[in-house]
Amino acid sequence: MNTATMLDEIRDANLTYLMLAQALIRSDRAQALFRLGLSEEVADMVAGLTAAQILKIAASNMVMCRFRFDDQVVWNLLTGHGQSGKHSDRAVSGVHATILMSGQLAEAA
Amino acid sequence: MAKTKSIVGESRDIARAIDLIKLGARLQVLESETKLSRERLLRLYKEVQGKSPPKGMLPFSTDWFMTWQPNVHASLFMNIYRFLDKTTELEEIDAIIKAYQLYLEQAGSHGLETVLSVTRAWRLVKFFDAGMLTTAPCTKCGGHFVVHTMELYDDFVCGLCHMPSRAGKTRAAAEKLAA
Repeated sequence: MNTATMLDEIRDANLTYLMLAQALIRSDRAQALFRLGLSEEVADMVAGLTAAQILKIAASNMVMCRFRFDDQVVWNLLTGHGQSGKHSDRAVSGVHATILMSGQLAEAA
Repeated sequence: MAKTKSIVGESRDIARAIDLIKLGARLQVLESETKLSRERLLRLYKEVQGKSPPKGMLPFSTDWFMTWQPNVHASLFMNIYRFLDKTTELEEIDAIIKAYQLYLEQAGSHGLETVLSVTRAWRLVKFFDAGMLTTAPCTKCGGHFVVHTMELYDDFVCGLCHMPSRAGKTRAAAEKLAA
């Protein structure tokens, strides 16, 4: 991937992310906080961005969204690694991961 | 019960009641969470659901939340609810409605049955309010799980880290497999 396409793709991802975030916040603010993992202050700021501002923010060499967790346990549950057959059920490990993620979210809030 | 005076308040109650009825709430939940009269709630229920509400007592036991499958679902709901309760200024019943909708989405996306009804979810929050249930952190995964309040949980390991051998092997699951 050369630099020009890389920058293009980052801008696209940023644009999609910011527009989705705005749509989510505007349709249901409380649920959007959960879905996006944002604080109220940041959510209010994102919701208030104009189209021109979004375009400006998106055109950067930095990706504006990032991973919500850096927890090995959650990663393993999501990818299905290191479970020695215990979590043979994918649905169960998916729910387990969700419980851990939403719990961490609630604690950090 | 005090009659509602404010029209705005009443319309909010009706919107809430409709949300709750759509999610499958029992009449007792509506009666306790809105100021609408029983007659109006009955009419509303019939309008939204097209049938009379089920009769009978509400489930009232805390023990149901301790069995394996319900505990997983209750813990999932409670973690979502806690987040909404902490981060937003929603009234309790609105937070329950929104958390329950998110729970339904989650259960659906994992292809799980919705074991927890909205009435149960509401009872669960009330049990937490009354201090009968709380959450304990699992010593293995660190997740928070619904437990009885007055017990010791120093070495608590959750039902997902330590799955009982018969976990999830319900009659319904067996029938699904056989079909």
